[in-house]
Amino acid sequence: MLHLTINAENRKLKGSVIWIACFLIPVIPAVMGTFNYWMNQAILTGEWYSLWSQLTLFYALFFYAPLVALYCSYLWRLEHLEHNWNVLMTLPVPVRDIFFGKLYVIVKVTLITQLWLFLLFCLCGKLVGFQGFPPVTILAWTLRGTAAALAIGAFQLLLSMCIRSFAIPIGLALIGSIIGFLLSNFSKSLSYAFPYALMLLGMNSNSYEDRMTDQLIPFLVSTLTFFLLFCGIGILILKKRDVKA
Amino acid sequence: MKALFVEYRKQRHLSVWLIPLVFLAVLFLWGMAGQRNLSDYDLAQGYSYLLYQLPLLNCILMPTMLSVIASRICDMEVKGQTWKLLFTLQNKGSFYDWKFLTEFLYLLLFCLGQLGVLLLYGILYGYTEPLPAMLFLRHLAATLTAGYAVLTLQHILSLLSTNQIIPLLVGLAGSFLGLFSEFFPSALARFVLWGYFGAFVPYGIHWNKETEEVLLIPREFPTGLFAGFCVFTILFYLLCRHIFIRKEL
Repeated sequence: MLHLTINAENRKLKGSVIWIACFLIPVIPAVMGTFNYWMNQAILTGEWYSLWSQLTLFYALFFYAPLVALYCSYLWRLEHLEHNWNVLMTLPVPVRDIFFGKLYVIVKVTLITQLWLFLLFCLCGKLVGFQGFPPVTILAWTLRGTAAALAIGAFQLLLSMCIRSFAIPIGLALIGSIIGFLLSNFSKSLSYAFPYALMLLGMNSNSYEDRMTDQLIPFLVSTLTFFLLFCGIGILILKKRDVKA
Repeated sequence: MKALFVEYRKQRHLSVWLIPLVFLAVLFLWGMAGQRNLSDYDLAQGYSYLLYQLPLLNCILMPTMLSVIASRICDMEVKGQTWKLLFTLQNKGSFYDWKFLTEFLYLLLFCLGQLGVLLLYGILYGYTEPLPAMLFLRHLAATLTAGYAVLTLQHILSLLSTNQIIPLLVGLAGSFLGLFSEFFPSALARFVLWGYFGAFVPYGIHWNKETEEVLLIPREFPTGLFAGFCVFTILFYLLCRHIFIRKEL
């Protein structure tokens, strides 16, 4: 049944505005980060690593989570319109498959966003005249950032499911990102207890050296814990609570 | 005034006031993170340093916050598809203006709240700098004007979009562009609407490596730029209002 819900969700995305967000938003940090790198080459001497720091500095800090939130709000938007909640809940489909079907699509779009950002990073690197290919570690950071999106994707999906407004979960994601940033500056160990800080750590933005070489396990454990927790809560709410159509 | 009352009746259970309030709380937390281990030198320029920092923060927070407020308030007519019925009862222009005014009042609440946060820091941490009332007013005027322009854009987008992903996407992109424009040469940054939150910042900054102290260099208020921007915001509002009135909904 899960593959049917995934197909249904995928069909909703055909020709959808979500792809504009997916492909347009990463272009902004790519263009502007490269411009910033170009203007400050005298002090940014780490080549690919310096460019990565400029590209992901603000993207990971403030915009990655709201972007995932935008995807999640979009996926629940149809259910919040008219009497679609009634239709959805009377379908002979297990609610966990409904939730996981949406989550699968969120993770897919997020992965595409991240790979698109990496591709833009490679192109920008070539444009500013770097030789060869970017270090594999940066690709690993990109994928690690995507793994962190699992926890945030599950949480935002839960928020967008419960909050009928399209906009509020996106505002909350921005606030979460800022609190995550403040927490990561305050105490690294506390960051693992806050899902929005995980994206920041995973992407290793604004740093030449991997800040998580010896802390990959806590990062993955934290991501998995939040993922399971939010999925569990989401499915439980879908099972127990009466819908408001 | 009756139309304004009607707008507030429509928003009764939406708790829109919570949005600027939560953003103010985040602003307060952000400021607190920078208030650790303050030296006498820091206390002597406490308000000025915050007035230097706030416009940058506004570039990040305000475009998204305003897009959320506008979307939340305009969404009800869009979702409910009540345009036809509504415009048999109320003039389109009046509807547009009063709805905008309710949104603007939340913007005003946020801007005044910012000044409140500054004063609160002054009391909590014991700033020794005399209260720079003129700079406070200047900050208020600049933030309100830039906010007015961005809100005008978000207002029209939220009203005309059947799918609220578009205004929210513009709000997010605006936060991004506004923030990055802070690092651009000023002539180039003036082409970015969202960058105007930082266009009237009262100080430049110089970092003294040896003493590790931040030196704030006062800047003249760009009166010509501000006047030009005010004219632009009014014309922009009138243009958006005209588009809305002419549009068949």
